[in-house]
Amino acid sequence: MLAAALRERRGQLDDDRTLRGSAYGQALSDAIDAALHTAFGDAPGFALVALGSYARRELCPGSDLDVLLVVPEPRRFRRRADHLQLAGRLWYPLWDAGFATGHAARSVRESLALADTNLDALTSLLDVRLVAGDPLLAGELEREARALCARRRDKVLARLADGVERRRLRPGPVAEMLEPNLKEGAGGLRDVHVLGWAGHTLGAPGGLDRLVAEALLTADDAQRVRAAAAHLLELRVELHRVNGGKSDLLVLQDHDAVAAQFATDADAMVRTLASRAREVAWITGDVLRATVREDRRVVDRVLTPRLVVRRGRIHLDGAAPPAPLDVLEAAAQSAELDVPVARPTLAAFGAMAEPDWDVWQRAAFGRLLRQGVRAVPVFEALDHAGVLVRILPEWEHVRSLPQRNAYHRFTVDRHILEAVSQCATLLDLGDGDDPLPFEGIVARACRRPELLLLGALLHDIGKGLPSDHSVVGAETATRVARRIGLDSEGVEILVWLVRDHLLMADTAVRRDLSDEATIRRFAEVLAGDGERLRLLYLLTIGDSIATGPAAWSRSKAALVRDLFVKAAAIVESDSAQTVVDDRRRALGALVGGIDEADAFLAVMPAAYPMAFEPEVMAEHRGLLANRTLVVACRDGVDGRVNVTVAAPDRAGLLATVAGALTICGLVVHEANLFSTTDGMALDVFRADDTFGRYAEGGDEPVELTLRGALAGEIDVAAGVAERRRYQGGSRPEGAVEIALDLDASDTATVIEVHCDDRVGLLYELASTMASLGLDVTVAKVQTLAERVVDTFYVRDEHGKISDMRRLAALESALRARLA
Amino acid sequence: MKLVVAIIKPFKLDDVKTAVQELGVQGMTITEVQGFGRQRGHTEVYRGAEYTIDFVPKVRMEILCEDDSASTVAQRIIDAARTGKIGDGKVWVVPVEAAWRIRTGEAGPDAL
Repeated sequence: MLAAALRERRGQLDDDRTLRGSAYGQALSDAIDAALHTAFGDAPGFALVALGSYARRELCPGSDLDVLLVVPEPRRFRRRADHLQLAGRLWYPLWDAGFATGHAARSVRESLALADTNLDALTSLLDVRLVAGDPLLAGELEREARALCARRRDKVLARLADGVERRRLRPGPVAEMLEPNLKEGAGGLRDVHVLGWAGHTLGAPGGLDRLVAEALLTADDAQRVRAAAAHLLELRVELHRVNGGKSDLLVLQDHDAVAAQFATDADAMVRTLASRAREVAWITGDVLRATVREDRRVVDRVLTPRLVVRRGRIHLDGAAPPAPLDVLEAAAQSAELDVPVARPTLAAFGAMAEPDWDVWQRAAFGRLLRQGVRAVPVFEALDHAGVLVRILPEWEHVRSLPQRNAYHRFTVDRHILEAVSQCATLLDLGDGDDPLPFEGIVARACRRPELLLLGALLHDIGKGLPSDHSVVGAETATRVARRIGLDSEGVEILVWLVRDHLLMADTAVRRDLSDEATIRRFAEVLAGDGERLRLLYLLTIGDSIATGPAAWSRSKAALVRDLFVKAAAIVESDSAQTVVDDRRRALGALVGGIDEADAFLAVMPAAYPMAFEPEVMAEHRGLLANRTLVVACRDGVDGRVNVTVAAPDRAGLLATVAGALTICGLVVHEANLFSTTDGMALDVFRADDTFGRYAEGGDEPVELTLRGALAGEIDVAAGVAERRRYQGGSRPEGAVEIALDLDASDTATVIEVHCDDRVGLLYELASTMASLGLDVTVAKVQTLAERVVDTFYVRDEHGKISDMRRLAALESALRARLA
Repeated sequence: MKLVVAIIKPFKLDDVKTAVQELGVQGMTITEVQGFGRQRGHTEVYRGAEYTIDFVPKVRMEILCEDDSASTVAQRIIDAARTGKIGDGKVWVVPVEAAWRIRTGEAGPDAL
């Protein structure tokens, strides 16, 4: 009977669309109060109290109903049957009316014992409202719970702060998620509750009022929090009306229906919500940081004549309004030291004059961006103080701007900050220790990393405006770049970067990267500038990672890198000299002086230092010093075997070594052959251990075979023939193509042999060349399915071979050998 | 019913999608994958440092269709995805025992 009436009343309230937010919550609470009051009847010694949102009269259509029956202490309470009967009278109508209830029957002491071990139980007792029964009992419960909370102050505050931090990561900030969680999201209703609970830990009267009394919260901010809470509650009630109370997640498909309740469109609704939630999140974070014990990580110090770090906060001294440099310097230092700006100082920043962007202001802003993820809270603080839009007026437009597609996770402003963070992280890679990851090498080579960060900051600034956001963004970037006084090269690169920020990702995914025309066209857009290529590559990575997991798969990463390397080959062909210089110096450090390194490199061919890392060169130097035959095998990092042979130079060395390796079951992929000017040869082979013979037998058999072959004790030709019988394989049938390239190298003629792969092929080709008295300086083997391309850099006694008759003879000899 | 599975070059996705849509194919599933076939991997060099690329990015496409259209769909994919160069990919067809549309519970060819 009671239940049916309650259910009907609830239905009426749900349908009455004039009841908004707290009005709905109060009306529903009143109805439930009345029903429970009737059900409670007369039960001396008991009290029925409401907890949580029911206590605050903030119920939404889908809220749980939390009620506690306060019973007398067990010692005095013996009539257990009465207790059960009363509880039944109370709970059944609620269940029958369809409420999800959280209910319990405990004495005051039992409740406090539980609260002492469980934070959720404790915070639930901070909002208590008597519904029926003994007011003294209810009053005692509330008083004791708040006293307990104040005694456990540090622990409770730390746990509340943890919770806020956790909800910031998951479900994420209400202001920045495209599908925000109105209750649990950072800046949502839970944050408002947390502020109130934090107030209770500090003593009476608790709540926001206590925070204001403690000067942790300005009266103005308290007002903002209350207004935001009312707004969030309104939205939550309407969301529950739309989705049937199933969830607090404002999913994209419900945006229009909820917005219609407010006679507005979805974008406007999201922006209003975001601006309110952003304030709540920032204030909550700031208050909780301020309540936890004073931060002593950073010692007090003077930063500039007006800025000091005092008690873990940055303060501005003096009454004069801050200069733009004070603000920008404080922002940069705040991010660098990871120390927040003090509240009064932040408020004073509002009086800042317009920045005129001298070199110091620009540098401070650059330092702020360079801090990446640490700059994000600083941006939030500046925005809260209303200073960010003075520094970057364009921010106004992207703040909380939603982007409706499945690709993105964040609103535009958060995406931009995320992209800046990711780009800063990439630049950090370049500052790391060797060996650098690929992106680190690119980052280290960047001449103007600040353009990457500015590019990340501005790349999506044109979003939400009519026409292509890259084009509009480039116009905005031009204005910003000029305003902040960037040099003309910087302006040009920055604007280009914003306009073409999608070009590299699009080309990598949508164009054929094995087509040289693709690469050439892409390189043309770079205007032959390696710096543009590096900046665009890093921005592409940063932007993609910031967009969401779907936008940066390993597969896309591989394609973009492939495009980068191919374009770099075109754009940067003249940059080799810096590599050589770096390696020469590094080698000097390894071998005891730059003179030693120079003496070694002097006898080596010019191409040598390009081919090897300094550590490897130092090892080669040791091998050559013996001036006799030395063989060294190493496991390469890529799972291949590196075989290095140092020997007195003689004709046909390549054929003999290649043959010996074939006999050992190693498949040669690449050979680099160097003749020193003092009569030695250094041959470096990279080979696949296809049959695991090297892995099984170690390097000893390989070394023995090589020594035997070079000493003439092993018949290499017979060994290779035997090996071929052994491994089988059909007779090659495909065409043999031989291409000569006289332009590829100044010092050698390049011969490419395209043919079907077969055992011992390199040996056969090399021995053919040796029989004609030709010298091979480099051999490269590229395997493409069953076809191979063997490339040889060949010289005769005069150097590069240009005598066409000699070349024709070589070609026919090779064809004859392969037939 | 048959499941047509194709591994193609990523940049050919749009061409292949258009081609099979012309045949009336209603849906497909796309996955970004990495792998190697006979072309194997390759190495890249930038600023003297060398990087081995063991696996090459590809797109894996799955299309559920009726028995008699499977070979037509496969042939269309082959025509649209071919560049004639190494690494163009593969197409194969596997029999499908049963299929349902989750929302409506429709089974068999109705679920396509």
